[in-house]
Amino acid sequence: MIQIKDLTKRYGQHLAVDHLNFSVDKGEILGFLGPNGAGKSTTMNIITGYLSATEGSVTIDGLDLIDHPMEVKRKIGYLPEFPPLYPEMTVSEYLNFVAEIKKVTPAEKKESLEKIMDLVKIGDVRGRLIKNLSKGYKQRVGLAQALVGNPTILILDEPTVGLDPRQIMEMRTLIKELGKEHTVVLSSHILPEVSAVCERVIIINKGKIVASDSPENLSKRLTGGSHLLLRVAGPETEVVSKLTKVAGVSSVRVKGEREPGTVDVVVEADAEEDIRRSLFFALSEAQLPILLMKAEDLTLEEIFLQLITEEEVAS
Amino acid sequence: MLAVLKRELKAYFLSPVGYIFMGFFLVISGLFFALLNLLPGSANYIGVLANITFIFLFVVPILTMRLMSEDQRLKTDQLLLTSPLSITGLVLGKYLAAVGVFFLTLVITGLYPLVIKIHGLLAVGEVIGGYIGFLLLGSVFIAIGLFISATTENQVAAAFTTFGCLLLIWFLNWVQQIVPKEAIAGAVFTALLILGVMALVYKAIRNWLVCLIPAVLGVGAVVATYILRQEVFYGLIPAFFARFSLLQRFNSFAMGIFDLSAVIYYLSFSAFFIFLTVRLIEKKRWG
Repeated sequence: MIQIKDLTKRYGQHLAVDHLNFSVDKGEILGFLGPNGAGKSTTMNIITGYLSATEGSVTIDGLDLIDHPMEVKRKIGYLPEFPPLYPEMTVSEYLNFVAEIKKVTPAEKKESLEKIMDLVKIGDVRGRLIKNLSKGYKQRVGLAQALVGNPTILILDEPTVGLDPRQIMEMRTLIKELGKEHTVVLSSHILPEVSAVCERVIIINKGKIVASDSPENLSKRLTGGSHLLLRVAGPETEVVSKLTKVAGVSSVRVKGEREPGTVDVVVEADAEEDIRRSLFFALSEAQLPILLMKAEDLTLEEIFLQLITEEEVAS
Repeated sequence: MLAVLKRELKAYFLSPVGYIFMGFFLVISGLFFALLNLLPGSANYIGVLANITFIFLFVVPILTMRLMSEDQRLKTDQLLLTSPLSITGLVLGKYLAAVGVFFLTLVITGLYPLVIKIHGLLAVGEVIGGYIGFLLLGSVFIAIGLFISATTENQVAAAFTTFGCLLLIWFLNWVQQIVPKEAIAGAVFTALLILGVMALVYKAIRNWLVCLIPAVLGVGAVVATYILRQEVFYGLIPAFFARFSLLQRFNSFAMGIFDLSAVIYYLSFSAFFIFLTVRLIEKKRWG
């Protein structure tokens, strides 16, 4: 659906995007992750045709962006970081204007605008001036704007920034809903958001792709073997000595006492071996009840920091 | 293009800008109509139009300051430039909206000659010709304002720069009377012009040889022409400035002459600035 080849953007001496290569399949929800200034917005601005790349190509549905700008732009709905709204217009005036510049035929305009306003829930503010709307509503009008013209691809730049927690939840649900019918690329520097919504994540730093995988795989890949967090009721020394004797355990790390009379330990297993059963039997034999056992995946924050640090060490 | 035109026209009257422009224009033109036609009992309406051309200095910046700059400030250019809308269509839509508001205002001033027509003798053909000239002159100024508005996201800066540029054009009328007419001055001026153009070309392409050769040849030709036929350069500087004196062309309209070459002159001037605006926006994408 989207194919990015050797995409580079240079501002004078500054390299904002450095030979990016990736593709997005039809129907996928791709998360674009990176700290501020990593080149996320620049990349999105290039894909949507707002900026031109210094080098490289963007192909949408087999059509090159440079050769067929009009056809490509029809296929893309874009919600930039700051929703592009005219404050002195009402919501419905604004959406009508957007429909006109996106060449929606008058016959389908009314119906499709109604559908969009229903979907993003802005029907009740349609007659209000945009400048009087709250940030959450403005963001939704921005999203509505991106949906006008029924584009197959949605590019959303930080769609939840500046929203309150409830609105963030609603926006995420909405994006997931949209992902059923559209190919979605969304960017964020808030990591849990991406793992909540996206099927695949591209992590980008200083204009380069650092990693690209599903949130779960990324987590697995970085932790090496499998890590288990256990909370065991009993004295620390005894727990540790019992655990180290279990076959397949390569290391035991004490995390401290979270609940009185218990100890939290992280147990690392050799390679792919599942040691949960043997851990259970070993500890129950010693009369040490396991109160909690869960796989300890790295959160995206940790992945992110780890990747960025690896990168810095390597260079 | 039509969608942009419609939106911009609406925007003029959703903000005070449209009203300020119209109000200011109508007050000044009404004042001159009263002073030059009503009080002395004169039917020479075209004199009013010729007398109020200075009004452009003040009202055109109001009309054009937000045209392109506002979209950059509001980031709505991200919507416009990522929609299936050509840049030419976008710029033309905005330009025509500004010209439209100007035209609408002119239509209202059409009441003045109507008053004369009822109470006296009116040279109808002359007035229509004068209005066409006035509209074209205003359109050129609007095109200049449009271009300046595209260079900044600050409306106030756009307004002041436009005012400054129009003032300069205004002064050209007088400047051409005081600049030296002598042949030697004309020759030096031509040589400097050639060097200036080549310096600009060098800045763009960064190739010494390609720029140096025409520069040397050009200056050589100027020197040779000066030695052989000095009279070519006589009065060249005033003539050069006269080319760019937009107001001078209006004089023929004001005298009741419908000058087709002036019409084309004005149209091509507007087209040039619209073209520059389109190029400027395109260039920004590559910046």
